[in-house]
Amino acid sequence: MSVTSTSPTTNPLSDFAKRLRANFQTYALIVATVIIWVGFSVWSGGTYLGAQNFSNIFRQMTITALLSVGMVLVIVTGHIDLSVGKLAGFVSVVVAYMQATYWPKVLPGHELLTTILSVLIGLAVGALYGVFQGYVIAHLRVPAFIVTLGSFWILNGAILLRTAGKTIPANQPFLSVIAQGYLSPLVGWIVAIFVVGLLFITMFISRRRKVKYGFDLPPIYQDLTRTAFFAALVVAYVFYVNQYNGIQIPVLLLAVIAVAVAYISNNTRFGRYAYAIGGNREATRLSGVNIRGNIFMVFVLMGFLCGVSGVTLASYVGYGTIAAGTGYELDAIAACILGGTSTLGGIGTIPGAMIGGLIMASLTTGLQIMNVAPAWQYVLKGLVLVLAVYVDVYFKKNR
Amino acid sequence: MAMNNDIILEFRNVTKRFPGVVALSDASFQIRRGEIHGICGENGAGKSTLMKILSGVYPHGTYEGHVIYNGEELKLRASSIHEAAERGIAIVYQELTLIPTMTVGENVFLGREPVEFGVINRDKLYADTRAILSKYQMDVSPLEIVKNLGVGKMQMVEIAKALSENAKVLILDEPTSALSKAEVEKLMGILRGLKEHGVTCIYISHKLEEFFQITDSITVLRDGKMITTQPTSELNLEKLVSTMVGREMKERFPKGKRSPGRVIFEVENLHALDPNDSEREVLKGVSFDLREGEILGIAGLMGSGRTELVMTIFGEYGKITSGKIRLNGREIKIKSSHEAMLHGISLVPEDRKQHGLVLIQSILRNISLANLDQFAHWFRIDDSAELKASLSFAKSLAIKAPDLHAPADSLSGGNQQKVVISKWLMSKPKVLIMDDPTRGVDVGAKFEIYKLMNDLSESGISIIMISSELEEVVGMSDRIMVMCEDKSNGTFDVSEATQERIMALATGISAG
Repeated sequence: MSVTSTSPTTNPLSDFAKRLRANFQTYALIVATVIIWVGFSVWSGGTYLGAQNFSNIFRQMTITALLSVGMVLVIVTGHIDLSVGKLAGFVSVVVAYMQATYWPKVLPGHELLTTILSVLIGLAVGALYGVFQGYVIAHLRVPAFIVTLGSFWILNGAILLRTAGKTIPANQPFLSVIAQGYLSPLVGWIVAIFVVGLLFITMFISRRRKVKYGFDLPPIYQDLTRTAFFAALVVAYVFYVNQYNGIQIPVLLLAVIAVAVAYISNNTRFGRYAYAIGGNREATRLSGVNIRGNIFMVFVLMGFLCGVSGVTLASYVGYGTIAAGTGYELDAIAACILGGTSTLGGIGTIPGAMIGGLIMASLTTGLQIMNVAPAWQYVLKGLVLVLAVYVDVYFKKNR
Repeated sequence: MAMNNDIILEFRNVTKRFPGVVALSDASFQIRRGEIHGICGENGAGKSTLMKILSGVYPHGTYEGHVIYNGEELKLRASSIHEAAERGIAIVYQELTLIPTMTVGENVFLGREPVEFGVINRDKLYADTRAILSKYQMDVSPLEIVKNLGVGKMQMVEIAKALSENAKVLILDEPTSALSKAEVEKLMGILRGLKEHGVTCIYISHKLEEFFQITDSITVLRDGKMITTQPTSELNLEKLVSTMVGREMKERFPKGKRSPGRVIFEVENLHALDPNDSEREVLKGVSFDLREGEILGIAGLMGSGRTELVMTIFGEYGKITSGKIRLNGREIKIKSSHEAMLHGISLVPEDRKQHGLVLIQSILRNISLANLDQFAHWFRIDDSAELKASLSFAKSLAIKAPDLHAPADSLSGGNQQKVVISKWLMSKPKVLIMDDPTRGVDVGAKFEIYKLMNDLSESGISIIMISSELEEVVGMSDRIMVMCEDKSNGTFDVSEATQERIMALATGISAG
């Protein structure tokens, strides 16, 4: 696909090396994850990577990972959102309140219907708060750092008001399914077959589009190898979690949302503009892009994802508590940074943030299994974050 | 006048090459101690290259020839950007480098604060600042916060800062481009004071009449060559202009065969205010019209309001207070770049890195950024269509890059500019505004851009081209509009244009 007529001799090996260098960060993250897994497995004598714990690592990362999905876009546009943890917490409290107090009074006996309503209300609360924050940031032009810091306190107050200092139960069976349910092995395999099929269909559609526009196709074995690799990952994952309870419903939810938002960020004007704004706001503005509208929408999406995260949180913990969501914003931001999102804006991917979140969850779980004191868990987490970014800075400088 | 024949600075056969272009070729001239030495020349004549050699941006060894300072060769190292200042050579840049939130005194001694036991001695800092300011009759309070000062006073602070470092040679780069008449007078007074105290000044300006007010001798540069150094008393304005531009037109500009049609775009007596400062008028009456398939050149000095004009037309700068903009005879009001694009108006901005490109993104993403609507079906962007369209522009503009996924900041200036132009051509404009399209572009790429402009205008696109190079304006335009002090100061056909006439209108010596 060279623009000038001189096309260099294509050596597949050097091509591979080039791609390896270009995606250094992604591979480094995957290697780091594997090292952490192997390390803890050896240390724990194998229990760490047992099916049950493996399944739990993924389940535990979902709530903050849902926040990271939105946070990537927030940071990519050059902003920050410090309120996401408290917003998710507030949503979880609202959902718990609806479930435990409101519906039994207003609509008793309609468990499924009321649970669906609770979920929808939770999502709406998140999205509406996103609308409010987005408006203040994008249109009233108050810096996001300040708006979301203010929201942090506002929502903390709202949580205290709603709970009145008490714990609200949210362990109704239908709600619990969201974060605690599993797909039966059979359904799991159906999902796996569906996903694998989708991977191959997408590959062929993309090849056909290239032909339609007259581009050279990469050799079929190359596409096949790559698609087969991802398919194998999916199959292996399903096989392994089926050894425990099956596919975790919250992980499935996270996967669907992450794939959807990743797709949006790459393939829609909304996503493209977000990256362009973070890369050079002025140039993007002069290209006729509605900057404020775009930033507004990024915060609405962030709010909606806080809603999803909050609903999952209520279901996961089974309670709405005064401490709900505390500190999640920092975990979400750290996952993005670990995953290669630049704090300067313009750079960052959702898959990267997901791996970042997985690394954090893997570390936390591992340290817990090894009975490391919580104090040291914090110290290590902090060190890993700074070290990881330093390694990245070092390799960028010396390439 | 302290006139002695002692030479403080001498250039001997200095040549500076860049890949594909010679920025300074075999320049030799001398500057006497204590004089005010003017350097003039068009953009690209080599003035900024000279300055960068003196300041150490191009250190010793990256150029050929010798720079003799105080009798010995000036050998600035690449490692230290402060070395020139330590040796007594200071530059007051066009864009001021003060920290606006700090006081005058803190700025003057920034990085060299008088310290006692690790604590800044503010009394000494302000006393020393006051001493410098009063020695040179600069009427600024050392305690004032810099952002509260006008541009003229900020410049005084900048000069005071250089003097506090014991500058022997002070280089002033376009010091008056942002100053009012009164401020210019004040600056001239200060420069005369500097001369009395034995400071040598190198004075770079586009405003030729200033040379006659203040300088002792003048060096003229053209195309990187030293043309002449003469005592100011032996020169006059006409002589200076003809030495600056006097040269035959070579085959630098491809000839187009255009036949401009009816008027499609008109601007009538446009007035506008600075969007950030509604006290300041940035356009004070601009009128011109543009015909179909025509290239209209806008000439004018830096700071004459050229960029402000086109940014205002594009809906992204000034607040229009009066005047009309008409497209195809109908009055239009443009409030944003998006609306401008809907009207078929595109702008290739002056500052390609700040306003034209998202440098960290790929060539592909840059080209398509303004045009994603073309490729979006519902929500999805058809990335194959996007790639195909971008490739065809990259090919027809001959963008030299390994592939379109290379980041924009990996390209040379000329290729970056082609990316910006591709972006705007993809939006299928009827009126294409190009603000200094060949700035910082090497000769080869310039020629390609000129050819492209000819092709575009032949296909019926109307082009407004701002240019800082007189030759380019005369070589490329069908008609020329000259701006002077935020006003249009005459429009005429290229057949009636001489570089002298344009220069006279641009400097305000004559009125159109």
